[in-house]
Amino acid sequence: MSVPTWSNVAPADAPAVVLSGVTRVFGVTPAVVRVDLRVERGQIVLVRGSNGAGKSTLLRILATLLSPTYGSGAVLGFDLLRDREAIRERTELLGHRTRLYEDLTGAENLRFACAMFGLDRAGIPGALERVGLRTVARELVRGYSQGMRQRVAVARAILRRPQLLLLDEPYAGLDTEARGVVDEVVLETNGRGGTVVLATHEPTRGGFAGRTLFMEAGRLLPEAHPAMEEVRA
Amino acid sequence: MTMLRQAAAIAGKDLRIEVRGRYALGAVLPFAATLLIAFGMSLGPGETLLRETAPGLLWLAVMFASVLSFRRAYQAEGEDGALEGLALAPIDRAAVFLGKAAAVAVQLWALEVAIVLLVSGLFGLPVGRGVGVMMAGFALGTVGLAAVGSLFGVLEESPRAREAVFPLLVLPLATPVLLAGVKATALATAGRGGQAGGWLGLLGAFDAVFLAAGTLVFGYLLDD
Repeated sequence: MSVPTWSNVAPADAPAVVLSGVTRVFGVTPAVVRVDLRVERGQIVLVRGSNGAGKSTLLRILATLLSPTYGSGAVLGFDLLRDREAIRERTELLGHRTRLYEDLTGAENLRFACAMFGLDRAGIPGALERVGLRTVARELVRGYSQGMRQRVAVARAILRRPQLLLLDEPYAGLDTEARGVVDEVVLETNGRGGTVVLATHEPTRGGFAGRTLFMEAGRLLPEAHPAMEEVRA
Repeated sequence: MTMLRQAAAIAGKDLRIEVRGRYALGAVLPFAATLLIAFGMSLGPGETLLRETAPGLLWLAVMFASVLSFRRAYQAEGEDGALEGLALAPIDRAAVFLGKAAAVAVQLWALEVAIVLLVSGLFGLPVGRGVGVMMAGFALGTVGLAAVGSLFGVLEESPRAREAVFPLLVLPLATPVLLAGVKATALATAGRGGQAGGWLGLLGAFDAVFLAAGTLVFGYLLDD
């Protein structure tokens, strides 16, 4: 088991994300419609849009949790459909669902994540320290507040050291201090040369993003669209 | 990390959660005991009748209790999107299936010991006779039940599947286990365990088919 390193990046010069005409339909309802997107490595991209705009679906497609109904794409140079495992090894999705087991402790949840992702357990105490949970690490997650659960999920992201960090409303339920930790993880990932795609409603967050995208009714608005000027303003 | 080590990690996690939640002890065992007592009372006090029907009642109790265990095995995965975590992990999908099946099998074996003792006490089933054949029947039957339940249990957490789909799929598919398990147990307790080879063979074949099927197709059920 080893912590993923930059040396295991396969196509090193490939963009972080390339989507071409990606559409995702649930039943007869389109959630993402003909999205074309290119994100270069090392960018921090902010995705804004109202509820139901398709932000979460887009992130879940990038994380390989959902397949595009139509269209094609690649993440970190790996095909979205053919190379799912390679993408999963290099990508972390931090969403509003924390993916924790309530009858395990915070530390046990992280140990399980280490087993699933092939990570070194030695980093767990440090990650817990960073999110301020070291003293309650041996308590069951069932007794944690939503904010504490989210902190464990952030600790998992710290352990993963992903090349592409996908954040879906990561600030929901977090206090000011924990929001700061999320920002730190974003900046740290970016500092290592990693790419970040962050979807959030919160207008005060994401100031560090180098690029802002706007989604509406499943479509990604052109970056020269009038609505984008409003977002930038 | 090999697939088997990943499966062991998943099984260990599930068993730890089960031990902490005491679901088998607190919900499944009382359910099985109530079922057996209700069957016993409806059949009346005739000792011979009770003894003759005991293998069937025993396996019915195991089968219904196992459906609850299968559901519980995936319930923890749905609490806060944990199943997504497994789907996002770069692991062989077969490891998830085998880990889940192993954890469910261990729980069912523990449950079966309690149910057999209960049936022995309530219905006078002579479990000492042909104990080896009976144990083999339960060992093999449980693996088959765990394989079917773990394969389709994931549908319980699928947003597109309905809860009713699970028993509709699992109960008919598990019928060969019920049939062969009842026959092997009846022969064993009647002192004719030597004639149970065919039924044990059927259980073994069922295990092989569903373990292989689960290993091959579980990924399609887990992934989008």
